[in-house]
Amino acid sequence: MKQKADVLQGTLALMVLKTLDVLGPLHGYGIARRIEQISGDLLAVNQGTLYPVLLKLEQEGAIASEWGASENNRRARFYRLTREGRKQLQVETKDWEQTAAIIGRFFQAKAEDLS
Amino acid sequence: MRSLRRFLSRLFNSATRRAREDRLREEIEEHIALQTEENLRAGLSSVEARRQAMLKFGGVEAMKQDYRAERGLLFIENLLGDLRNAGRTISRMPGLAAVIVISLAIGIGVNTTILSWIQTILLKPLPGVSGVSSFLLVEPRMETGGYPGASWLEYRDLQTRVPALRDVVASQMVPFNVGETGQTERTHGQLVSGNYFSALGLKPASGRFIRPEEAERPGTEPVIVISYDYWQTRFRGAPEAVGQKVRVNERDLTVIGVAPREFQGTMLPLKFELWAPATMAPALLGGTRDLEDRSTRAFSLIGMLRPGATREEAQAEFSTAMAQLARDYPEASAGIGGEILPFWDSPRGPQRMMISGLAILQGVMLLLLLAVCGNTANLMLARGSTRQREMAVRVALGAGRWRIVSLVLSENMLLALLGAGVGAAMAVWGTTALRVAPLIGAFPIQFQTRVDEFTLVFAMLLGAGCGLIFSAAPALHLARLDPQDGLRSSPNTPPRSRARRVLMGTEVGLAMVVLIAAALFLQSFRAASQTDPRFRPEGVLLASYDLRGRNPDDASEREFAARLLERLRALPDVEAAAIATNVPLDLHGIPARSFTVEGRVRTEAGQDRAITNTVTPGYFKVMAIPLLEGTDFADMRDKAAPAQAIVNEEFVGKYLNGAKAIGRRLQTRNANFTIAGVARNSVYAAFGEPAQPAIYLSYRDRPASEGEIHLRTRSGNETALASEARAVLRDLDPMLPLYDVRTFSQHIERNLYLRRIPARMFAVLGPLLLGLAAIGIYAVVSYAVARRTREIGVRLTFGATSQRVVLQIILENLGAIASGTAVGWLLALLISLHAIPNGDFDVPAFVGVPAILLGVATLACWIPAWRASRIDPMAALRHE
Repeated sequence: MKQKADVLQGTLALMVLKTLDVLGPLHGYGIARRIEQISGDLLAVNQGTLYPVLLKLEQEGAIASEWGASENNRRARFYRLTREGRKQLQVETKDWEQTAAIIGRFFQAKAEDLS
Repeated sequence: MRSLRRFLSRLFNSATRRAREDRLREEIEEHIALQTEENLRAGLSSVEARRQAMLKFGGVEAMKQDYRAERGLLFIENLLGDLRNAGRTISRMPGLAAVIVISLAIGIGVNTTILSWIQTILLKPLPGVSGVSSFLLVEPRMETGGYPGASWLEYRDLQTRVPALRDVVASQMVPFNVGETGQTERTHGQLVSGNYFSALGLKPASGRFIRPEEAERPGTEPVIVISYDYWQTRFRGAPEAVGQKVRVNERDLTVIGVAPREFQGTMLPLKFELWAPATMAPALLGGTRDLEDRSTRAFSLIGMLRPGATREEAQAEFSTAMAQLARDYPEASAGIGGEILPFWDSPRGPQRMMISGLAILQGVMLLLLLAVCGNTANLMLARGSTRQREMAVRVALGAGRWRIVSLVLSENMLLALLGAGVGAAMAVWGTTALRVAPLIGAFPIQFQTRVDEFTLVFAMLLGAGCGLIFSAAPALHLARLDPQDGLRSSPNTPPRSRARRVLMGTEVGLAMVVLIAAALFLQSFRAASQTDPRFRPEGVLLASYDLRGRNPDDASEREFAARLLERLRALPDVEAAAIATNVPLDLHGIPARSFTVEGRVRTEAGQDRAITNTVTPGYFKVMAIPLLEGTDFADMRDKAAPAQAIVNEEFVGKYLNGAKAIGRRLQTRNANFTIAGVARNSVYAAFGEPAQPAIYLSYRDRPASEGEIHLRTRSGNETALASEARAVLRDLDPMLPLYDVRTFSQHIERNLYLRRIPARMFAVLGPLLLGLAAIGIYAVVSYAVARRTREIGVRLTFGATSQRVVLQIILENLGAIASGTAVGWLLALLISLHAIPNGDFDVPAFVGVPAILLGVATLACWIPAWRASRIDPMAALRHE
């Protein structure tokens, strides 16, 4: 259970980066909605957990934020990907694909392959 | 890189906490508002829409916690919080905090001061010179143990024969009479080798230094380097000083440069004003043969280790070189080996004596600081117990053990560092005590003590160390606390804290050691200032003259002394006058020489030694030392009488077994003397010394180029004689200054100066420590008693008398105190036996101090106990 949450934290950051990469600047709610749509139930319960992740990414310099007007013309905080964030996304995407590929191969491996 | 950036950003966030908090709140509100609108669009009622939005967002507080943890540096925020809290706590107990800070400040201040003194002698033996750690003294050493110095030719040989030393420099201390005929003033300077300044790595403050070729052949260049102070006082720091002529020992020398500000020569703590090339010796010292004669060992050598070389290598090479020299020049160097010594172990100057004295002092003062820590720990522990409930609440609300410890720690650290800060300020003031040391003997002395980064770091480390020491007990105590117990227990449960008792005992024991040390110091100092010296210093004026610039011989020295005495005795106000080579109670001591005497056969190996002083007739009259047998020395101009000696009572008792002394032969200083009289014992080297055997020789037989004039006044006002004596000397020789004019009382005062510093320190610190110990005991007992109010009430109700209650409380605490005292007493005894091996058992210190300490401790127990026993039993039982 605990492990699942940890993995989630790591993947959540990646999802945030990818979302901002695809959709451009978004406020927290927008990001949450987008991730929810794509990931199904994963974030359905605790949208709030997104904010610590956003903060961490901002402190690392992967994203930047500024105040702007939301759809209903209220003040909202908009996040956008920085150049560094884009680089980070590329690297992590590659890492992720590699990891996924390795794990995938392990799961497909049969007993005779390993002997 | 990324983690660094994150760290910096978090650090910044910690500082701007509030703004961030607002931003998050706003973001959450916006998020929930947007979600609510979405839900409304999906057809929910407005209340339900908002509820669903909140549910979906999740636990706001938990998220905020995560956010905060992510945002700033938790430990720094906690630390700041702790410090704020500590500040509040401390401001709530100003009295206790003041006691703690002041006592720590004194302990740390004293220790820092002493360290800065030790540092001056140990680490900075050559002020103004950097890289001193590779500098060593190169000292020829006689088989008999003396350090005679090196001759100039020997120095030239050693320069190439000890490859482990990159450079060897030579210097010789010389008296200079500076100025025009009739108004000379006396200063001291050094004759130095050509590489002196370059090897020491000095940069001139103005002009240039002596070049190597200027110290090659005798008489090459009449040049001189002046000290910074000399430049400032005589030339007002004018750049034109370089190139001017100065008249030194009747020679005109050209000033070529100014030494850097802090540089004071290479013989700490003496402060020199002038440096001339060694090859000027014959010109400045009246044709001395210093430069050609291998048996004139006038130079001191300093060697600089080559990088990578060790002292052992240098020592081995030096020994080999000296052995070779002894073979080549047996008449001058036979039986002379050599030693390479660090500066603090210098055979000249007060370093050796001071280092051992200061090391003991530092040890005692560290014990004092430890006692202060014990005291503080106890006060904190007593206070900590009353805070059990507060801590229990904190634990119950979720504070971890470590948070409690860090809370207590930060409070105590704040106190400790405050103490260290005040202590460092005190040390700044304390270091000047040595700086302003008066002239000692004829030579200007300067210790360049100061509080620098090293000593400041030491002070802060001491503070931090103290903080840790006295935090440990209370922090552990509180951290082990079970919150349930802490909340439930009423303050009436009797405390079962052994820690407090142990601490109290330890503190009293440490106080015991320090107090006995203080008592012993004060005792020896009082003995020093109050003992009868067995001569009469009142009404005696001392003054020095030095004929060495004149290259005198025995006859001229004798004649000069005789004429000087005739003229001085003719002065109306002079009752008696004499000249001696040494003055008793001089900081530099009086030489002891080996001798043999008729009628004494020495059974064990080695040689008999006695203090020797060479004096003119009339000396015993001036000093008011009675001659018990025989007569005074023969007149200075008497050519018929044999060479005479006068010995003292102790000499007769120790070496002649009390047999008749007059007429016996005595051999010393390679000559024969006949004992002509026996003088009463008096004090020679130091007050409180055991009786010393002494030999007086006559100036008539052994004239000397230097002399200490002793004048006894008729009117009782010896200072009035100074100008008359000066006039007499000027009349006899216009170029010769009279220097180091002082009354005998002043002379003694100077001798006592270095001993007075620790004595004063102890005089202040002793009572202070006693007071601290009393406060500590009082705090512990009154706290313990307060916790037992109900129990005492019960006892009183059941008929216990108040005396019984008081007695019981006192006895309970006195047990711990007495065992601490006993251990401390034994420790002090061991230390004193080690430090003063032949010292008497000092009754006042070893009996009086424990009595006082136990008395004060009993009183400190009695006051709170008595107060508790006065309580109304009914009130005590109702007490909550």
